Amino acid sequence: MRSRAVLGVVLLSALALLFALGIVYGEATDRWFFGGALVGALLLAYSFIVLLLRKMGILGPRKAER
Amino acid sequence: MTLATQARPSPETAVRGRYGRFMTALLRGTIRLDTAIHRIYPTDYNPLYYTGGLANLFLLILVLSGLFLFFYYEASLGGAFESVRYITEGVPYGGIIRGIHRYAADAFIVAVLLHLFRNWFTDRYLFSRDNPWISGMFLLVFGGFVGLTGYQLIWDERAQVLTGLFLGMLRAVPAVGEPLARIFIGGAGVSNSTLVRVLFLHVAPASTLYVLLWWHYLRLRHPKIWPPATWVLFSVGLVFLLAGIIPARGETPATPGGRPTGFPMDVFFLLPFWLLNWFAPLFVVALLTVLVVLGFAIPYIGRREHPEAMSVRHAGVAQVIDGNCTGCELCYYDCPYNAIIMVPSPAPGLSRAAANRTLLAVVLESRCVECGICVGACPFEALELPAFLERDVRQAVAEAVRA
Repeated sequence: MRSRAVLGVVLLSALALLFALGIVYGEATDRWFFGGALVGALLLAYSFIVLLLRKMGILGPRKAER
Repeated sequence: MTLATQARPSPETAVRGRYGRFMTALLRGTIRLDTAIHRIYPTDYNPLYYTGGLANLFLLILVLSGLFLFFYYEASLGGAFESVRYITEGVPYGGIIRGIHRYAADAFIVAVLLHLFRNWFTDRYLFSRDNPWISGMFLLVFGGFVGLTGYQLIWDERAQVLTGLFLGMLRAVPAVGEPLARIFIGGAGVSNSTLVRVLFLHVAPASTLYVLLWWHYLRLRHPKIWPPATWVLFSVGLVFLLAGIIPARGETPATPGGRPTGFPMDVFFLLPFWLLNWFAPLFVVALLTVLVVLGFAIPYIGRREHPEAMSVRHAGVAQVIDGNCTGCELCYYDCPYNAIIMVPSPAPGLSRAAANRTLLAVVLESRCVECGICVGACPFEALELPAFLERDVRQAVAEAVRA
C-alpha cells in the first residue's frame, strides 16, 4: 500500500511539473485560458498528493480532531 | 428514579411514526454514504463533513473574484455587456476570473444544498440548533437571489429575458407587486438606473452573507468553517480547470426592444424560471413561498423534536458552584453552544484547588440547553444540572447495578 502511494506521489509530482511548464508556456504565448486551466490541473494534482501523504500517515489529522 | 414516561399511542403518534421512520431511513442512508466514502478517504478528510466549510471557501472565492470583476464592470445598459466582454477577452486572465466567479457560484449553491440535506437527515436542527438552521435558510435564500442578479448584470439576451420574467413574477404578487417591480427597476421601465440597482442588489446581499454567517456560527463552539487542505486545493483547482476548459463567454448582447424567447438554462439558479413554461407567475411565486416557509419551519413541524416526545427530562440550566470553580476553562472549551463564558474572578474559591483562581465560569442561561456536557467536563465538581444532580445519577446507576 505504502509503495503504491509513494509511486502515486512521484507520478503526480512529475505531472505537476508538466502542468507548471504548461502554465509558463501559456503565459509566454498569451494563452490565458490554457494557462488558467493548467493552474487548476496543478492544484488538483497537489490535492491528490496531499491525500496520498495523509493516507501514508505523513500528514496527521488536524489538531482539533486528534 | 425514572428518566422517561411512556405516552399513550395516539393518531398523532402514528403520523409522527411515519415521519420518524422516513427520517430514520434518510439518516441510515447518510451514514451508509459516509461509510462508503471512508473506504477512499480518511474520516477526517470526508468531504461531507465539510460541506459548510466548502460553501465558506466558495464564498471567499466569489468575493475575491467579484472584487476583480467589479473594477472593470460598467453598470449601464450600453456599457455592461461590452465591459464583460472586455473582461473576458481583453484583460489578462480576466476570462479565467470570470469563469471562476461563475463556477464558484454554482459550487457554492451545491455545497449549501448538501449541507442543508445532511444536517436535515442527521437531525442537526433540533433544540438549540434551530438557530443555525434558520440563519442557514436565510443564507440559501440570499445566495439564490445574489445568483439571479449576477445573471442580470451581464445584460445579454438571457439577462433581458430573466429580467422580464422576474418582473412578471414580482407584478403577480397581490397588492405590493407593482411597487416592488418599480423599486427593482427604478421606474416604469428598464433604464440605465436598473443595472445600478441590480449591481447594488448583487453586492449588498452578498456582503450580508457574512453577517448571516456570523449568526450561523454564533452558538456553535467548534464549527468546521474551513475544509482540510486537500479539499481546498481540489475545490480551487476544479473551478480554475472548469474556467479554463469551459470558458464563460459567447452570449448575445441584449437589444433595446428585443423580445428573445429562450435562453441557456442553468439549474442551480434559474430553476424557478423554468417552471414558468407551464405555470402562471403567481403560482410559481406561491410555490416558492411555500417551499421557503416549509424550509424555515422544519425545526418546528416535526413533532418528534419535543423533549417530551423524545422522553428527555428537563434537567434545568447548568449552575456553577462558585466555591469549587478553579477557572480552568475546561467547561468553556467543551460547551458546544457557547453558553459558558469566563469572567475575572471577584474572589478566591473555597476549595484548595480554587483558592488561587483568576477566572470564574458563568453560564449564559439563554444559551444553555441543559445537556450536561459541562458537568462531565469539570473535574472539580463545580457544575451541576439542578434537576439532575450528579448524586441522583450515581444513585440511579447504583440501584440499576443492584437490580
